[in-house]
Amino acid sequence: MTHRFDRRTLLRGAAAGAVVGVAGGVGLRSLLREPLPWDEAAFPTPGSARVAVLRASNYGGSLETTVLDGLRAIEAEVDGANVLLKPNLVEFDPTTAINTEPRLIAATVLALRRLGAASVVIGEGPGHRRDVQDVVTRSGLASALTDVEAPFVDLNASDVRQVTLRSRYTGLGQLSVARPVLDADIVISMPKMKTHHWAEVTLSLKNLFGTLPGRVYGWPKNVLHWSGIERSILDIAGAVRPAYAIIDGIVGMEGNGPISGRPISPGVLVFADDPVAADTIGATLMGFDPDRIPYLTEAGRFLGQTDRDLIDQRGEDPEQMTTDFERPPTGASINAG
Amino acid sequence: MSGGSTDLLARSRNADGGFGPRAGARSEPEPTAIAALALDDDDDARAWLLDHQAVDGSWSLDVGPFVNDSATALGALALGPGPERERAVDHVESTRARRVDSTDAIPIDASAIGWAWATGTSSWVEPTARALWTLRLLRPSSPSIGDAVALLRDRECRSGGWNYGNRIVLGEELPPFAETTAVALIGLRDLDDELEARGLDALRRLSRIESSGGLSLATALAAFRIHGSNEDAQRTRGALTDLVNRTGLLGDTVALGWASLASGSRLPGAEA
Repeated sequence: MTHRFDRRTLLRGAAAGAVVGVAGGVGLRSLLREPLPWDEAAFPTPGSARVAVLRASNYGGSLETTVLDGLRAIEAEVDGANVLLKPNLVEFDPTTAINTEPRLIAATVLALRRLGAASVVIGEGPGHRRDVQDVVTRSGLASALTDVEAPFVDLNASDVRQVTLRSRYTGLGQLSVARPVLDADIVISMPKMKTHHWAEVTLSLKNLFGTLPGRVYGWPKNVLHWSGIERSILDIAGAVRPAYAIIDGIVGMEGNGPISGRPISPGVLVFADDPVAADTIGATLMGFDPDRIPYLTEAGRFLGQTDRDLIDQRGEDPEQMTTDFERPPTGASINAG
Repeated sequence: MSGGSTDLLARSRNADGGFGPRAGARSEPEPTAIAALALDDDDDARAWLLDHQAVDGSWSLDVGPFVNDSATALGALALGPGPERERAVDHVESTRARRVDSTDAIPIDASAIGWAWATGTSSWVEPTARALWTLRLLRPSSPSIGDAVALLRDRECRSGGWNYGNRIVLGEELPPFAETTAVALIGLRDLDDELEARGLDALRRLSRIESSGGLSLATALAAFRIHGSNEDAQRTRGALTDLVNRTGLLGDTVALGWASLASGSRLPGAEA
């Protein structure tokens, strides 16, 4: 249980760090230089991680039990904690699979309560739609949360607090992070398993864009795009530090994700006590080589574990569960997107 | 209905006279400007705006090396006549987004440059439409109006209406949204009849689909009223009234501000 209190202390006590003007237009690989683009005191060398891959063929049946099994498999400690669940809620299109499935979110709320969580709040600041009420309602999330009596917080409209960055990928120096995220004892990143046309895959790290309000960064979080999507992923993850990740891979999205791709059904859920390890295994399950995803390999240097020898793999063998996602079209300028 | 949203909005006022994005949150320029317009609030919201206006006439949120000054156009509309308003309009008129090249991935007319959410970033529909609304009403002879219209022409979705800023990304046509389409139409009026007609057709369709959202319905009502589309306005007003009564628009001050403004008698550019 110590990690959650360490997290709050860390976020509140963040000291000012030097800002390196590296934003915009420079490839991430060029940053692999000395001095390190993060404060070593803030980011101890990543240790071992626990990841569990569980089969789940659909969103019906005993989903709550499956989630409970997954959280127990990674030995998640939520007893007495105020938890913020951060799903991926971008926009609603009934013909595809953009968002973390509301039934899975509701099942997770129930599972967390069974594990003793003091409170569970669902928070998201959609990047593509300013009218969050419409997306939450039409996606079915509002109804699902009503059923389990869980509150939704619009992070786009939440008060913010400045977090001084201890990593220096964007050069932004500080981030305006939604207060409910910083006030939670535990943040769980809960993405949809999707391809992403600028970042290759979007999983628990990229999902954290939604913790920064669009009213500050513009829609669709345009300042972050100008700062570099991969760089922003690293700085945001370093500021938010989610404790756990649950990846919705029951139905994912392949091709031109994160919005315009097609649904695909890997039939898996990924649980992890390390979001970098979660994304490493998630990318593997999608048929990607995680060692060839630049932001993920960079995250493995300071944010979490990418070394499979140091990932304690539980549940199914991901190598046996791989579903080859169609690759996204990539290679364009990210600045206008 | 104006009473419902207006009452809820008024109750969201902070002790400093301004409004945050939701009740209890720190006051910020955008919700305060919309509330000042909706409430015709000289003593509090307008006073907050005057107190927080920068020397260059803008209102902004600092985002590291970027400055989000996109509320300035709304702030200008919210102020009464005077040098403060002129400075705000000067700021709107003199700022532009960064030029972005057209690419195979994102084909655009690179010469069409509108307004950005934040300094040093690219053009988007909503900040451009805000600038257009302000310039059209407060400085109708401004040559910048043509720049805004050109951007909105270039970024129109193939089926009419507007997404956030792009028509096509990586070969995929992006869909229009109700809120962005409505905001574009609030800016556009008597500037391009065909563009506006296609936008209104899209908004009629989208406002029925996206009828669960307060911000979508409120901005749609404002757009229909500004364009004199009374039947659509009446339908949208009914849906918005129902939504305010059922949900309070989830306490979103910007949505409540738009609902109050669109429903009342102070909507700039609309017949009373």
